[in-house]
Amino acid sequence: MSDLRVLYVAHNHPTLHPGGAEAYSLELYEAMRQQPGVEPVLLARIGSNVARRRVAHPGTPFSSVNDDPNQYFVFTETDHFDFFTLTSRDKSLYSRHLTDFLLAQQPDVVHLQHTHFIGVDLLSQIRRVLPDAAIVYTLHEFLPICNHHGQMVRTFADELCPEASPRRCNECFPEISPQSFFLRERFVKGHFANVDRFLAPSAQLMDKYLRWGIGEQRIEVEEYGRLMPDRRAGDPAQVKSPTNIGFFGQLSHFKGAEVMMEAMAMVDPGVDAHLWLNGANLELQTQEFQEEFARLQEGLRGRVTFRGPYEHSELPRLMEDLHWALIPSIWWENSPLVIQEAFFHRRPIICSDIGGMAEKVRDGIDGLHFRGGDPVSLARTIERATTNPRLWRSLREGVRDPYPMDAHVAKLLGLYEETIEQRKGVAVSA
Amino acid sequence: MPEMVKAKKGNPRSSGRAEEQTARLSADVELTLAAGEVELRESKTADEPNGSLKALLRDELAALDADRRNKISAGLAASPLVAEHPSLPLSGSLYEIREVLRERLPACAVDARQPVGLAVEQILAIDERSFWVSGWMHDEDGEGAVTLVSPEGARVEVTKTAFRFERPDVVQFYAPLRGTTRNHGFTAYFELAAPSLLTDGWIAELQTSDGVGVEIRCPAVVVDPLAIRATILGELGNRGPVGGELAAGHGRHALTRLQERIVADSEIESVDVYGELPGGPAVSIVIPLYKRLDFIEHQFLQFSTDPDFAEVELVFVLDSVEQKDELAAKARELFALYGLPFKVVNLTAGAGFAGANRHGIESSSAPQLLLLNSDVIPDRPGWLTAMREFYAEQEGIGALGPKLLYEDDSLQHAGLYFHRAPGAELWENAHFYKGLHREFSAANVARPVPAVTAACMLIDRERYEEVGGLPLHYVQGDYEDSELCLRLSKAGYENWYLPQVELYHLEGQSYVPDTRRVPSEYNMWLHSEIWGDRIEELMAEFDPIGSQATG
Repeated sequence: MSDLRVLYVAHNHPTLHPGGAEAYSLELYEAMRQQPGVEPVLLARIGSNVARRRVAHPGTPFSSVNDDPNQYFVFTETDHFDFFTLTSRDKSLYSRHLTDFLLAQQPDVVHLQHTHFIGVDLLSQIRRVLPDAAIVYTLHEFLPICNHHGQMVRTFADELCPEASPRRCNECFPEISPQSFFLRERFVKGHFANVDRFLAPSAQLMDKYLRWGIGEQRIEVEEYGRLMPDRRAGDPAQVKSPTNIGFFGQLSHFKGAEVMMEAMAMVDPGVDAHLWLNGANLELQTQEFQEEFARLQEGLRGRVTFRGPYEHSELPRLMEDLHWALIPSIWWENSPLVIQEAFFHRRPIICSDIGGMAEKVRDGIDGLHFRGGDPVSLARTIERATTNPRLWRSLREGVRDPYPMDAHVAKLLGLYEETIEQRKGVAVSA
Repeated sequence: MPEMVKAKKGNPRSSGRAEEQTARLSADVELTLAAGEVELRESKTADEPNGSLKALLRDELAALDADRRNKISAGLAASPLVAEHPSLPLSGSLYEIREVLRERLPACAVDARQPVGLAVEQILAIDERSFWVSGWMHDEDGEGAVTLVSPEGARVEVTKTAFRFERPDVVQFYAPLRGTTRNHGFTAYFELAAPSLLTDGWIAELQTSDGVGVEIRCPAVVVDPLAIRATILGELGNRGPVGGELAAGHGRHALTRLQERIVADSEIESVDVYGELPGGPAVSIVIPLYKRLDFIEHQFLQFSTDPDFAEVELVFVLDSVEQKDELAAKARELFALYGLPFKVVNLTAGAGFAGANRHGIESSSAPQLLLLNSDVIPDRPGWLTAMREFYAEQEGIGALGPKLLYEDDSLQHAGLYFHRAPGAELWENAHFYKGLHREFSAANVARPVPAVTAACMLIDRERYEEVGGLPLHYVQGDYEDSELCLRLSKAGYENWYLPQVELYHLEGQSYVPDTRRVPSEYNMWLHSEIWGDRIEELMAEFDPIGSQATG
């Protein structure tokens, strides 16, 4: 019996672009490599928006990553990607290059972490080239459904959007006709029809895709498995007053950057709360946002400290002085990896009461919810949290370990096998 | 032109027979006139020319009709003697003859109110006998014939064979006439029976179907081969698909001859030998150098620690001739440092990739050839012996190519195949497994392949010569190696890929895509045009990617 060949496709490589889905993709690939009888291959997209210069060789978009014969970059020009229809304008990427790659690799399973920058056409091409291969697709956000950066937040007033339709999407983007949105949906769904199995890391995300029209027999919830660091962060020196709150991740509008800054400005001056920002990519945000952020930061010296970007491996040290992790996102989120990381280090979480955050953090058990997007509600929650050591201890007791990678790997292998069997049935009956 | 003046000095010379008159046209050729018949012949005497050519012809031939006179002039220009003894004095004399005999037509004045118009925009001298002309003509019915007259008097009706195309500017210019004719533009490649050496003096005549005739003087002929190549490629790029009718009927012939001329214009100027080359070398390594000289130091470092090089005749050919001094200085230093003997072939002019290889091969002596690019760096010693041993073991092997890697250990070369996109007509060269990792299992099987790259290719000299070597007719490259391999395969040899030998090929990305578009498309078209059928046969046996991956 030959090895099970699994091709993982990701929209970025974590060495080039830090991000939750990217980090998870590499961790999963590494974990699968440890499994006897499994030969994983990772194909990560690289392009002009993340690499300093074109890295592909003439005549091929593929190149190897470091010394690992099973990790590849696929280079696509960012300019060639149609961000509306989620397809590459350079069709030879599919008809020629990815076809050759699939034929050379002959995977039994193609597990896509993402098709962004590569394009949804890849799904149909896999089916055409490898009729027996199982196609599994993990959904990380709402890009297939929503043209507003896949956030499902209306373009006006940051209102959360429960469902897409040509009419509603046209309200968000008056310059794009409802007909265009109709075609976008048809195009994406047409290619999605080739996927055997969708995985949703959170139930709320699955619900939105069910509502969008993916049949329930094709989608299920499967949380991200994580490889956890060797050690947990020690307890904070100061446990009598749990004053230190940490934010991890991108400082952006959708991540609630302004909400938390405004809330810190509203915290009762008598309350000794401090916010530590561990974040990256501020320079990638709009000029307007950067200026607004600088203005908010100006009045908060002594309350908020910016610690800059961090490496994943630094997390235990960064967590050391913190009592709380804060996730103030104004969009639904999927299943933020910070939740799992904070829980691993036994830190309760203060988060918005929406989407994946509300699902993964239990209010009053292992964290505290505030009203999403509302700085006043967040300020009151911070005051309550940082002045109440008993509450902090009790929430800390309620924290459970995150979903371990080995359980996730076992689950996926079962699912791969099941899907391959299903496909055999399809092939025979076809 | 002083020679011309000399050629017509003197008085008519009386020969043995009174009715025959002779005039010397050049050192080798004289003209005889007897009973109204004009002939050229090799001059038999060393006498000074003594006929007044003009007077002689005027006296004897003026009475003939225009058509007859034109034919005589054209006949002289096309004479085999002109082909055998071309010279400027002869061309000058023939020009004189043409001027005496030719019936002058009214000069054509281009006027939007007159339907008859003619322009020749350029004449390119591909070589002494082949030319490229572009222009336009306009008349009432589009049936007019354009004839070019060379300075020597040769006549070619170009509109018979020309590629015709729409000229919106001409259509616009003649809009007031409300004509319905189209395709006023013409471009043609044509060959003369004998050389035409004068750059000035071409005439173009237009004869309309209703008997009107006009003429114009043409601009001076362009002779610079690189300017000519750029112009022809430019026209190919602007007249529909590059591999269209213009290329098939005209461009291919012109560019093939032009490439031959470019290579012929490049001769070996000198061969500099550094150190003492091995007496009876087993293999000659030929490395053409073009612009980038910085790689060779890295090659020397690797070569000098490899015992295999004791049997190697190492030959560099400098194709970017302007770097001669720079390379000489570098060569002295590298020899002093590494002590590895080699020679450098200097050329009088750039010959291109295939031409430079040709010069290098001519200057080498071993029974086996290893063609190598300057940006190929061995991974470890022993590669050459491994290739030679493998070559010796394969019955009927043609070319052998090793595994070539990019700097990040991705595959650059694991054999070549030919790819044709569904619905496309042309084949392009494709690389097996390009971009995949060096350890990728399917790329680690030694096997016959349709072709291998000339970036590193081992071949017996005899077999190389048997099939005529690297072809010269491609414009700045891309398909020379695959055509060589196709020639080998047609002759019954098999080309092999050998993955056990690994070298790095730091293939550049420096070329400018836009200026390369037309030459690349032209080369691809030419390659398919010549080899399409053979490729089709060959690819029927090959599974380009196949399911060769092993789990």
